[in-house]
Amino acid sequence: MLVVNYKTTARPGEWEGKQQDASQETCLYNKYRTLGKKSVEIMTLKKLFAFYLLLLCQIMSAQNDSITNLKAVVVSDSNLKKYSTSQSVLKLNDSVINKNEALLTDLLNFNSTIYFKEYGRGMLSTVAFRGTTSSQTAVIWNGININSQMNGSTDFNTISGSDYNSVSVKAGGGSVIYGSGAVGGTVHLNNDLGFYNRFENNLKLDYGSFNTIGINYKTNISNEKWSAQIGFSKNSSTNDYKYLNQYTWKGEQRWNQNGQYDIITMSANLGYKFDTKNSLKLYSQTSNTDRNTSLITETETKSKYVNGFNRNLLEYDGDFGKFKTNFKTAYIFENYQYYADNSTNQYTFGKTESFITKADLGYTLFKSTQINGILDYNRTKGFGSGFGDNTREISSAALLVKQDFSKDWKNEFGIRKEFTDNYKSPVLFSLGSSYQFGKLYNLKLNLSRNFRIPTFNDLYWEQGGNPDLKPESSYQAEIGNVFTYKNISLTQTFYYIKITDLLRWVPGSNGIWTPQNTDKVNTYGTETLLSWKQQYGKNYFGANATYAYTVSKDIATDKQLFFVPFNKVTAAVSYSRNNISAYYQFLYNGFVYTQADNDPNEIVDAYLVSNIGIDYDFKFLSSFKLGFQILNLWNENYESLENRPMPGRNFNMYLNLKF
Amino acid sequence: MKLTRLFLVALSVSLFVSCSNDDDNNDPKGVYDNGFFILNEGNSGGGSVSFASDDLATFTADVYKTANPTDIAGVYLQNIFFDGDKAYIIAGGSNVINVVNRYTFKLIAKVETGLANPRYGVVKDGKAYVTNANTYSYINPATGNTDDYIAIIDLATNKVESKIELGATANRILLENNKLYITDSYNDKVLVVNPATKALETPITIGTSGDSMEVKDGVLYVLRAPYGDNRSEIVKVKLSDKSVTKITFPESLDRAGYLDIYNDKVYYTSNNSVYAITTTATAASTTAIATASLPEDGSIYGFAVKNDKIYIADGGDFGSNSKAYIYNLSGSLQKELTVGVGPNGFYFND
Repeated sequence: MLVVNYKTTARPGEWEGKQQDASQETCLYNKYRTLGKKSVEIMTLKKLFAFYLLLLCQIMSAQNDSITNLKAVVVSDSNLKKYSTSQSVLKLNDSVINKNEALLTDLLNFNSTIYFKEYGRGMLSTVAFRGTTSSQTAVIWNGININSQMNGSTDFNTISGSDYNSVSVKAGGGSVIYGSGAVGGTVHLNNDLGFYNRFENNLKLDYGSFNTIGINYKTNISNEKWSAQIGFSKNSSTNDYKYLNQYTWKGEQRWNQNGQYDIITMSANLGYKFDTKNSLKLYSQTSNTDRNTSLITETETKSKYVNGFNRNLLEYDGDFGKFKTNFKTAYIFENYQYYADNSTNQYTFGKTESFITKADLGYTLFKSTQINGILDYNRTKGFGSGFGDNTREISSAALLVKQDFSKDWKNEFGIRKEFTDNYKSPVLFSLGSSYQFGKLYNLKLNLSRNFRIPTFNDLYWEQGGNPDLKPESSYQAEIGNVFTYKNISLTQTFYYIKITDLLRWVPGSNGIWTPQNTDKVNTYGTETLLSWKQQYGKNYFGANATYAYTVSKDIATDKQLFFVPFNKVTAAVSYSRNNISAYYQFLYNGFVYTQADNDPNEIVDAYLVSNIGIDYDFKFLSSFKLGFQILNLWNENYESLENRPMPGRNFNMYLNLKF
Repeated sequence: MKLTRLFLVALSVSLFVSCSNDDDNNDPKGVYDNGFFILNEGNSGGGSVSFASDDLATFTADVYKTANPTDIAGVYLQNIFFDGDKAYIIAGGSNVINVVNRYTFKLIAKVETGLANPRYGVVKDGKAYVTNANTYSYINPATGNTDDYIAIIDLATNKVESKIELGATANRILLENNKLYITDSYNDKVLVVNPATKALETPITIGTSGDSMEVKDGVLYVLRAPYGDNRSEIVKVKLSDKSVTKITFPESLDRAGYLDIYNDKVYYTSNNSVYAITTTATAASTTAIATASLPEDGSIYGFAVKNDKIYIADGGDFGSNSKAYIYNLSGSLQKELTVGVGPNGFYFND
């Protein structure tokens, strides 16, 4: 990004700057770096772990193991359910999460309409949802937006799905509730706490090709008053897979060099019910990702990117009949350290600390009408080698109304305005309606205005940051048709999004790249979700499929945005009987242009990748599953990004214990 | 059966080869003879090389991929230099130099070790001298601006045989009268190296941001375009006594881009325009001979004057194919070529 006179000298940042060329990509990859005095980081992890263990013992002693049928589960993000009746939400629960590879990229790539762009297996992974850019999909952790303050997006290969009880994908705008980045859609990582008597442990051990090792442990301990959920995950791989049919000029087999990764996450979530009216919850998560960056050519300088986060959220719920309150206080820390040459100890870095408070006051006006008023304050302090030392404060006020005229006709309305000195903020709104025609058909309409605010990089990058940027803003309209017949559910959504003031880093006349609100984009398309479940005697069948057709055009050039496929299909079928369960899934990604001018020679080819898996439950403990998976079953030779081949057929086996 | 077939094939090939050997010598030595290459720096996925014939009648967008479909030239292609029948393509982001036949562009070898952000190269007596920017000061503040070096490559083995540490920054390099001249653009120097002794000689002070340079009649011309409110200049260094004179540009020519000398005229660019002065002139010309109409994101990123033509490459937005524009010396547009991403130089193959 930063470039000092890229024209005449080749000094710093020239290449960094060029990477910026992936315009909407907002230089994620070159910002691709993170802090993390690793030893310190691990120390902290150790301490935290010790603390959690201590906690665990205390709670266990106060516990009896009987599991009752009373299953009071408190969801972490109540607005997700409450204010999404007019949009489509795809919920992936832990049984789906466990069947897929550990990292979130694989889970969502094979089960949702979201398009992923991976810089090689396990490397930086960014999304395009409904044809939008990587910073226009917001990732929401227990109700809090956790997209990077530095580059605006989330790297889906730094998140392990098993750390959450469910992962939900909500298509369409959500800025009224979730703020910046909820343009194409939102991905929700939720930890739901159960308040019933249980003591459950879940341990999953994976071992696969390329020394891919997964250790995922989660325990739930709860009674009617207390609930605790403690988790640990570690996913690593030497990731040294061979590139199919690729040889160097000397005739040597090419392989994925410098691609090793190691992701460690610890979570602890605690809930306490004072009485029927008052409860307190604490969510805490710490993670460290230590990754090298795989090479395009064997001779490149090997680099490394270390990033981590620490998230803490304290939440109070008060339920006083008609009047409900929810207060949230969160502290979110994220950092990166980028070693351009990992044989040296020299790095660039960035870190941000965000302090968020949120008050959500709900009131039931009539039986049919609920209103929520939300006040929000966010203070983020950023410090980095690229963007100096800056602080930004954002306050916002929002009003949400939900009105159920009848059991079949539901309406929702929301409005939000942010207040900050940093940029001029538009008034955001959301308007939705859902009508159920008989048992068979449900019509949904939604209209919203959403935005994406400039990041610390965009505003403060030295040199080139542009403090006068406006947020990217969008209008969105969608029509959803949901057909339900017996065990089949079909959701078909048509949408249209008009995005203005899209940010792009452009080379300035003085040779310094700088972000500008240059582009306007129209994106439209359809999404189809299909699910089916059937039981014949002891045989259980299931099938799920998604299809997305996406047109995302730059209005000025009439060209498709690069790295947005016109077509994406996913499908999965599963079968189980007694102790055996098996599944087959595939993913088809249509071709994508790699250049803004849609040069037909510069594309990433379409690919079709399939996985198959089987497991057997030996029925020790409460469950003892041994499973085997073949990934990329048909040995497809494919790339997600040009010159970054993905692995051929490979294998994984796992042990999944519940006790 | 198989052997017979093989024999027949061999026979016909040898016939074909001997026939073509009989052809007269003026024939092109390969499809890419008698034309010029446009080097496209590329984006983070890799760069490319385009080719156009001198008469502009034939054009190939990506000759490297055409000739070597399974190989990647590398990331951020910076420079091409020639020696004999070979062309050397420097990929700065990949620390590699691709050695190809300059007429067929078939890959012969790669220089794969001993390079660190290689920039530009020249050849003398079977050895290539390639500047290496090494680390950058924003990552390595301690030595980033003093660790640049020249890699000396034995072109018989395509291996880096030794290095000359420069203790400065190094970018463009030029060979004149057995001396190497290297722009040290972060500082205010042109470095002088004697390749025979590998010793640094007294550098020439020209001011910061020196870039394009060329020698004509014993005089080194360096174009420098410093930042901020400092005027651009052509610095003329008389190499016999290293005496310096300057032609300071008016403000309207701030942030000048490139310089090339052709037929006793010094051509230079500023913004989207090309200007020319005679080698004896003492003041800059502010009358453009050609002005490229580039798109909003565009800027001149490659420049040459040769064969009575002016060649301009538009750097573009670095996310799309960009264009090269070819003018005659009086500034009328002859041809527009759609090349690759980030075209940064023209290399003539005659």
